[in-house]
Amino acid sequence: MEKTVLINCSPKKRLSVSGFLMRCAGLMLRGEKEYFHLRTPADRKPILQGLKNAGKVVFVVPLYVDSVPSHVLPFLREMETFCRENGLRLKVYVIANNGFIEGRQNEPLMQVMENFCSRSRLEWRGGIGIGGGVMLNVERIMISVFFGLMVLNVFLRGIQGENILEPVRSFGISLLELLLLACGIIAYMIRLAVHMNKGTDAGKRYTRIMLPSFIFILFADAFFIIISVLQGGIFRGWFSRFKPDAGCSIIATKD
Amino acid sequence: MKTIIHDLGKEQNGRLLASADRVVCADGRYAPCQGCFKCWTKHPAACEMKDALHQACRVLGTSDDLVIITENTYGGYSAPVKNLLDRSIGSSTPFSTYRKGQMHHTLRYGKRNCLRVIAYGEISEAERKTMELMVERNAVNMGFREHSITFCANAEEAGGMA
Repeated sequence: MEKTVLINCSPKKRLSVSGFLMRCAGLMLRGEKEYFHLRTPADRKPILQGLKNAGKVVFVVPLYVDSVPSHVLPFLREMETFCRENGLRLKVYVIANNGFIEGRQNEPLMQVMENFCSRSRLEWRGGIGIGGGVMLNVERIMISVFFGLMVLNVFLRGIQGENILEPVRSFGISLLELLLLACGIIAYMIRLAVHMNKGTDAGKRYTRIMLPSFIFILFADAFFIIISVLQGGIFRGWFSRFKPDAGCSIIATKD
Repeated sequence: MKTIIHDLGKEQNGRLLASADRVVCADGRYAPCQGCFKCWTKHPAACEMKDALHQACRVLGTSDDLVIITENTYGGYSAPVKNLLDRSIGSSTPFSTYRKGQMHHTLRYGKRNCLRVIAYGEISEAERKTMELMVERNAVNMGFREHSITFCANAEEAGGMA
């Protein structure tokens, strides 16, 4: 069976949705798998070496300003040259995710990756674009918290000789509710995994967190208000139209 | 205020200044965005990293007309230009709204006039279409009323188009 290389393209060190999605995809893939995190130029060479004996590669990419994050572009250029020189004909799949609710906002990113495959003579096999991906982070934190509370509750009820099934049932319901929000993502991830295991074309599919967009926006706004209060930004001109300092070194002017 | 962002090299700054108020050369010697959102949540409109792009979002935000000269890279911006754009999301706020029927961040600096992209280098038909779509999306995202894209064969020609 062909080896699959999975690349988390998020620049974040921890708690990246892309890293989580990469692990989820890996769980459903058969055969040898190798995981990488592309953050710095030093990460590029090991990934290229990993591609040498691989048959498939899965890019898990966050959407930054309507496309792939800038640190991924030099890697794609290097990979293009590397694949051409070594005659690699990898099958390429992409899992894109963005912070907006609409999965379709990933379309330009998907096209960039498809264009990269054409130039590199690699086999584009499609993928999925996920909207509201950041909610997956919230969900997995909530599941961990609910699970912890359930264990504590079962323990306390056990000591007092009360019914211990009630907290388990309550946790089960909460878990189902959270999974329901992600049901589109789960279904499309499974579908994609089936295609990846067969090596067939998955086409491009878009999905999202199953919330009406206006509710998602309320959640997103509340999230940023809380973080901005904690980090203090809300008190430092949250919406102010700051002008660049006079000494802003990137600007060349006529003066 | 008209600003030109380009990846043609610093030596082109003087020539480009003839047709703009400000010129920014994206030379790629900057750290990429780390996705921390602190330009929204900790120190609004300033990047957490205190390098030359620390206030890049203020430069973009205060540009009524923005011209981007970039080498085609798979139907997108070159890495140095994309680096600068990624580090400039502080030109919007963390709050969300609808524009053109989709979710976007509200604009710190309000609506602006025109985003003009000049792409140079060899380009396939598929990459052209991608770039047109991306510039259209960027214009909505950044709050530009108008947008346009021009394709040029090489950097020399692109520099003359600004």
